[in-house]
Amino acid sequence: MKTVDDFVTLLRDELALPVTADDLGRGLDTVESWDSVHLLALCTVLERETGRSLPLADVLEASSLKDVYLLAVAP
Amino acid sequence: MTGRDVYIRSAASALPGPPLDNAALAERFGMDALWQQWVDVFIGTASRHLALDLDSGKLTVSLADLAEEAGRTALDRAGLAPGQVDAVVLGTATPDRLMPATVNVVADRLGIDGVRSFQLQSGCSGAVQALDVAQQLLRSGSARTVLVLGGDVIARFYDLDTDLRATAPAELVNYVLFGDAAGAAVVSTEPGPGAVSVRALFTRLVGLGREPGAVLEWFGPADRDSDRPAATEDYKAIEKHVPAMAGEVLEELLDGLGWAREDVDLLLPPQLSGRMTRLITEGLGLPDAEAVSCVDDAGNCGNAIVFLQLERALARLAGGRRAVGISIESSKWLKAGFALEGS
Repeated sequence: MKTVDDFVTLLRDELALPVTADDLGRGLDTVESWDSVHLLALCTVLERETGRSLPLADVLEASSLKDVYLLAVAP
Repeated sequence: MTGRDVYIRSAASALPGPPLDNAALAERFGMDALWQQWVDVFIGTASRHLALDLDSGKLTVSLADLAEEAGRTALDRAGLAPGQVDAVVLGTATPDRLMPATVNVVADRLGIDGVRSFQLQSGCSGAVQALDVAQQLLRSGSARTVLVLGGDVIARFYDLDTDLRATAPAELVNYVLFGDAAGAAVVSTEPGPGAVSVRALFTRLVGLGREPGAVLEWFGPADRDSDRPAATEDYKAIEKHVPAMAGEVLEELLDGLGWAREDVDLLLPPQLSGRMTRLITEGLGLPDAEAVSCVDDAGNCGNAIVFLQLERALARLAGGRRAVGISIESSKWLKAGFALEGS
């Protein structure tokens, strides 16, 4: 996973979240069916895709899906 | 009702093996630090006991093993012999077999015979349902002493080959919420040393038209290849409804007894997960009550929960202290509660 489009595909295919690229900047509390279990599932998938660990403390600071994406692809 | 007083004379529990902490589960399932941190933050359950060898994947003990141990301990603590038991009631969602009923296997092992026995197919409120049956037997005058048992072995629902990274949320939570245990209580119309009085106890089905919040399947030769998941949980419905239902049970108990909130010395709250139980306890608004919980160490152990709480609570009720217990079953939605008073 490298691009934002990859990220959206992953959200739709692996987490069954009905989101588009336009939704990434929205607050997590407004994402349909979003909850802590989805957060875990997303982080787990991202770790698998990127081969890097994501500290939960950092992820909990994320306020949108875009923030999570930036954490995952940060150099 | 005849007005006969009902007493809980003893309580006991049996837990399989050593506690398994989140690190041990993470290691077994190949999960990393993030997963472990997530369990700590969002589930808040530190450990649980499983009747399962994580290396071999084999079940280590049965429900009958655990219930026998708990039942024997409860009888010893009450100072009663098996021959003094007039009835046995067991609540479980996970009997060892569909037949013979586990309750009768346990009775046999304890040397109890020639009495009535009942097994309830029940969930997290099963202990209170079993106590309710015992209470009715005692109040009707047809029994003086009832051995009440409850427990679950959910270890058989663990698929150690599963990839938790690819597991749906409704199944994933089951791997960290639950634990195996059995418990027992001796309930009688005759008080003994350390007995507490049952001042109120009720169970009520409130599932009309409601979807189940939790489902456990069983399979036979005709459908064992079914791809439906064996265990699922609608955790969102549970998070939404259980706190409110717990509040309703508390109000009903206090109103019925004429107790004020300040009169409650001990609270035995629903044991969903460490985090949920803390949220519910705070929401109930009983500032003077000490919470008696076991979920942090033992997980949500289904039909055993209330017995584990009673075991911890009974001695703390000496001197006329008062306790309220609340149990909510989310499978097909039941409310249950009880109130106890020490002597």
